[in-house]
Amino acid sequence: MKASVGNVSFQIPNPNDQIPKRVGVWGLGLGIFWFCTAPLLAHHGFDTEYDAKKKVKLEGVVTQVAWTNPHMRVYIDVTGPDGKVVNWNLELTSPNRIRRQGWGPRDLMPGEKVIFEGYGGKVIESRGSLLSIRKAGSETYLFEQGKEDAEIAAEGRPVPAR
Amino acid sequence: MKRLPLIVIATAALGLVVYAQEERVRHIAPANPVVADKDVNSQPIPRLPDGTIDITGPWFGGGSNGDIEREGGLKPGELPLLPWARELREKRLPKDEPYTACLPMGVPRINPYPWKFAMTYTSKGLTHIYQLHETGDAGAHRVIYMDGRPHPVDPIPTWWGHSTGKFEKDTLVIDTIGYNDKFWFDSRGTPHTEKLHTVERWTRINFGRMTHQFTIDDPGALSRSVTLNFTASLIRPGIKDGGDLLEFICLEDNQYGVAAGIQGVGSGR
Repeated sequence: MKASVGNVSFQIPNPNDQIPKRVGVWGLGLGIFWFCTAPLLAHHGFDTEYDAKKKVKLEGVVTQVAWTNPHMRVYIDVTGPDGKVVNWNLELTSPNRIRRQGWGPRDLMPGEKVIFEGYGGKVIESRGSLLSIRKAGSETYLFEQGKEDAEIAAEGRPVPAR
Repeated sequence: MKRLPLIVIATAALGLVVYAQEERVRHIAPANPVVADKDVNSQPIPRLPDGTIDITGPWFGGGSNGDIEREGGLKPGELPLLPWARELREKRLPKDEPYTACLPMGVPRINPYPWKFAMTYTSKGLTHIYQLHETGDAGAHRVIYMDGRPHPVDPIPTWWGHSTGKFEKDTLVIDTIGYNDKFWFDSRGTPHTEKLHTVERWTRINFGRMTHQFTIDDPGALSRSVTLNFTASLIRPGIKDGGDLLEFICLEDNQYGVAAGIQGVGSGR
């Protein structure tokens, strides 16, 4: 499925497209899937609220950066192919944790264009779990889910509180 | 041998994915930087003017969070839960975890944020130690009475219980009774009862680490008492931002569960 913001078009990936048809390549496919999804699977509450099958990569315009407790949120307007604007509510982790990772209150402001990856809510799809975010035209990520969480999930242990 | 090329390709592809992930995270600093293993003896263990060992911190870790059994050093199934408690643990759902409703974590839980022992001196000496968590205590400080008072005979069950403490040489020993049965030992849902009695032995073994020997006695939920072991790490001194506890008001905007249409999260039981 294609969508666009202004004159920039982008692709919303369909997870089914990534499944190899040849049985011999299943291991490769599963390996890539595991590496790509481990960070999100580990996020506290993720499995309760968000859907790993609803991964999106979208571009939009920031409307609000909320340094709120218990978890920080970024609100982003995304214009679909039909011109309809959807305001995404993207959950991160504690603002203190974000601050310790080097993201400050002036690093992202309303009106800035960003590219983000995330996973939609189980019921409300535009309430997402943010996986990564960067400004359009920049290769520097402002935020990504922690690797330590991925390691915990990879071992199949209970997801700890964050 | 026919599969060899496929295996090579798969290994290379996985390696590329790992490399890509490394590239993607290189701009992100560690969330909770602690004193590295190689630096744990880089300085002497600090002491207060009266000679008391300084266990203030701030620390990172040193308790349970995801799975008390594993994190405390036991093998799967070694925690001697009574059948009803084991059954309850299996039934509990993440959405019902009290912590997600901004309620206190309880003892010995420590989530991945800084915490400290605030050692409080009055004209009578060290009379109280407050255990302060950046997150997870819901603003309700845990008090450890160091003035020699006994436990009350019939305490009202509370989230942190009634704690008395004393130093045995350089080890802080905390004895606690009077817990309620509402908090979970971990995200897994490990339960306890109001009969819970805990003994914590905290020992700063060097500049950067403090061990925590934790004994649980709960005849309501366990068939015998059990001792677990944890280690806390000192938050690295001199961090520009966030080297100490930062403000955290959990109830400010807790939207947990809304994305999944869940109502009444954190009901506890």
